[in-house]
Amino acid sequence: MSAYEISIISIIGINVILAVSLNMISGFCGQISIGHGAFFGTGAYAAALTMVGTGSVPLAILAALVTGSLLGLAVGFASLRVRTDFLAVTTIGVNFLFVGFVRKQAWLGGEMGISGIPATGFGPVGNMTMILLFAAATIALSLYISRSWMGFAFRAVGEDEGTAATLGINAGAYKLAAFGIGTALAGLAGCLYTFFTQFIAADAFDFIFSVMLMAMVVIGGIGSTWGVAVAAVGLTLLPEAIRFVNDYRLLVFGGLLVLVIRLAPSGLAGLVQKAFLAVRRS
Amino acid sequence: MLKQTIKMPNPRRKLSLGFASALMLGVATMMPAHADIKIGFQVPLTGPAATDGKSAQIAGVMAVEDINAAGGVLGQKIELVTYDDQAKSDQAIFTANKLIGEDGVKLVVNGSYSASGRAAAPVFQKAGVVMISAYGVHPDITKAGDYMFRLVHLGPQQGAATALYIGKNLGLKKISTITMDNDYGQATMNGFIEASGKYGITVVNKYSYSLKDRQFGSIVASVKRDNPDAVYATGYFFTGGPLVSQLRAAGITVPIIGSQAFDSEKFIEIAGPAAEGVYIMDSFDRDRKDETLQHFFTEFKKRAGYAPEGVAAITYSAVKLMADGIKRANSTDPAKVRDALAATKNFPMLEGTLNGFNSLHEMIMPISVNVIKDGKFKPAGVLTDLSAFAPPEK
Amino acid sequence: MGGGNGASPTAEDDAVYYFDLAVTGISFGCMYAMMSVGLTLVYGLLRILHVAHAAVFTLGAYVTVLVANATGSILLGFLAAMIVTPLFGMAIYRVMYEPLLKYRPDVPMIASIGLLIFMQDAFRIVFGEQGITFHRNAFAFTTFNVFGVTVSAVQIATIIAAAVVFTALHLFTTRTRIGIGWRATVSKPQIAASFGIDPIKVRYLNFAVGSVLAAIAGGLVAEMNNLVDPGIGFVVSYKALAIIVLGGLGSVRGTLIASLVLGLVEAYGTIFIGAWLDRDAIAFLALIVLLMIRPQGFTGARTA
Repeated sequence: MSAYEISIISIIGINVILAVSLNMISGFCGQISIGHGAFFGTGAYAAALTMVGTGSVPLAILAALVTGSLLGLAVGFASLRVRTDFLAVTTIGVNFLFVGFVRKQAWLGGEMGISGIPATGFGPVGNMTMILLFAAATIALSLYISRSWMGFAFRAVGEDEGTAATLGINAGAYKLAAFGIGTALAGLAGCLYTFFTQFIAADAFDFIFSVMLMAMVVIGGIGSTWGVAVAAVGLTLLPEAIRFVNDYRLLVFGGLLVLVIRLAPSGLAGLVQKAFLAVRRS
Repeated sequence: MLKQTIKMPNPRRKLSLGFASALMLGVATMMPAHADIKIGFQVPLTGPAATDGKSAQIAGVMAVEDINAAGGVLGQKIELVTYDDQAKSDQAIFTANKLIGEDGVKLVVNGSYSASGRAAAPVFQKAGVVMISAYGVHPDITKAGDYMFRLVHLGPQQGAATALYIGKNLGLKKISTITMDNDYGQATMNGFIEASGKYGITVVNKYSYSLKDRQFGSIVASVKRDNPDAVYATGYFFTGGPLVSQLRAAGITVPIIGSQAFDSEKFIEIAGPAAEGVYIMDSFDRDRKDETLQHFFTEFKKRAGYAPEGVAAITYSAVKLMADGIKRANSTDPAKVRDALAATKNFPMLEGTLNGFNSLHEMIMPISVNVIKDGKFKPAGVLTDLSAFAPPEK
Repeated sequence: MGGGNGASPTAEDDAVYYFDLAVTGISFGCMYAMMSVGLTLVYGLLRILHVAHAAVFTLGAYVTVLVANATGSILLGFLAAMIVTPLFGMAIYRVMYEPLLKYRPDVPMIASIGLLIFMQDAFRIVFGEQGITFHRNAFAFTTFNVFGVTVSAVQIATIIAAAVVFTALHLFTTRTRIGIGWRATVSKPQIAASFGIDPIKVRYLNFAVGSVLAAIAGGLVAEMNNLVDPGIGFVVSYKALAIIVLGGLGSVRGTLIASLVLGLVEAYGTIFIGAWLDRDAIAFLALIVLLMIRPQGFTGARTA
């Protein structure tokens, strides 16, 4: 395997974790978040500081999980107060605040970011394997939650909080749980990203990136773990696959985004379902 | 213009040519067919940095054409392998790996921002690939290892030189500073503030803005109240243009000193009459009687539709320097090219003469200052006191 | 150096300074209002976060400069932009949003973001990375001195334009038949339909009016910066979102208040908390603080 392939696969794994974890919040639980980059970044910075301080990989992972989830819970509390589109824009706000704050903090490297982060010592292939294992675990966790009582409760809350309440579901608790789990995983992804690049700067966690993650969820089919994972792989590879158009990459990317949603608004999962139904009917 | 010496078979040698071609066929089957020297080239062609990326790309291609027209290097042609990195770190890592693994490139010019150069540098270093960062200003790039070179003054050094120029040459002491919030803007300003005391400069007030800002009403009002002797601003021409015109429109008449990336004719176009009298640090003398420079100007303008800015000139020089390194090494072996580059002495760049590199492969070169007069860049002094802005050593 | 030494300004200097900041803030606010009302209108009617509005704004800015340069008249530039952008806005509705209305609101929103990315790159490819400038823009460099405060012609133009536009909009929605029908459709679609108002026409009207406002704002920003580059709309895309949420989503009055407040907060915030947060973050900090206190925004007219 070439270094190029290894680096692409590593990023794919990271994006799968991010998209699948966002899907738990926005897909399962219906809490639209367009600020996933902030949690990703929090994890990355926590991991970077831990690695620079201690050089311990497990500690870095732990720090990323905890900080990602703490910020997530804070936003989760906000979601108890503001709903739907208000929440969506609040999460955008959290993303801008995160980037705007980090940019100005000397102890976080400010504009220069943090560099000289020690390597994990696993080598590129080892890192890639670790990332893929975590990605697989994230997918497994997502599938498990989706089939469990918790997943049912998430969906009930996502569809209609009032109805959920009549079923005896404490909407607030489940929203917090969704944010807590989803953002912890985003923090983990940030940690893996830090291991991969060994230097980080605020720009990598901006609003645009959060939008890209939301696009993965929507194109994959909101709520479908497999659909979202496939979309994450596809949308990460797409810019590489269309490298031959070089100058026109963003044009093609934006155009395809519009086209895909226009032609398959319920995402890949919706397409597959439709095809499945059609086959069964015939 | 002596542009090309076209290689045409002399008709009189037809016979021997037949012989030779038969011979060559034999050789060709044993050796990879006429291998061009590949130089990897990372530029931001899309995304927010595309403004600079486009200029860098045009300049890079021109450099290669000029080199090849002059017979290439070591009898071979140079071929540019170009990838878009969007000036992003992950894209830079992808493309770096791609250049190394799939294209087998051993020599690279990074014509992109720090975020790219910084991420790509360790990858290239590990693979033993020579990289010249044309205009990436982050200190980490050269710290990645001995295969890394930089062809632009580091941010802090530019800042220190600015302090020298403002405090000593212009004799201005009370300064308001306006910093652009990115690594380049911040690092340059830090260098200025650190060195300012040495030249008796007091910083009245510090302001900052984001790369996306084009409206500076609050900063302008505050600078007006500061009533400084001069204003020093870091930024790009597309932020500097609106900033300068808004400062002037508010009746602020004191000298304005802009950082290197103000250096574009677009700056004059945007700021219009307000650009008059603005000093630009680490610029270059556009009127210098130098055939290469004047040819570069006309040809670039023809291709791009606008006049080349600093970024274009540096990138052109970076590709030329790489070719020169290969020639002096008499080999494309990266370790030999690295040693040849490290030993560079008085290399003619478009911007002037490069003295050479220090132990960290940071460039050593005087800093030129321009001032805008009658809508044109005019030389306003050269800072030759190299010790005042010496880059860090290994 | 004059009596007012830079380090210790007099009380009068202070007054002028704060007034200066206020003028800056109000002109920002007026600009924001014209950018965001289009978004509010679309949201009020269709509940879509119309991010591609930023592309409409950018188009307005480009058309203004191009036509002004071609004809030599800035006024003609504005007029042309006000004709082209509503067509574009309505086309966006017809081609992109209409078929997506029955899906979750994040679906059309992602499509909208896709369109913005597409358009931004299209502007870059067609008009160049470097952006375009007015050949002649005396406007940007003309200033007036009002009680010691320097006010630029563009600032005055922005404030006047906003006043005229919003007065006209107010009269239109309260005094004309179409306008009243429009307002009725936004608040009570079924009832309005039963009075014979075509809801589809109202939607087109919505996009047309919002786009015209964005075009004016685009032209004014082009004037002030003397530069239109492909990224000019990016700031609009997210800041306008913050504004309409601050204003209580769907309320035009709330949007106007929120725009002015944000303009002022930014004008002062850039100076006083700029060392800790950048300008974009200030806008969102204000937003989050307000939402925690009043989850429905300033007006809270409609519950989410």
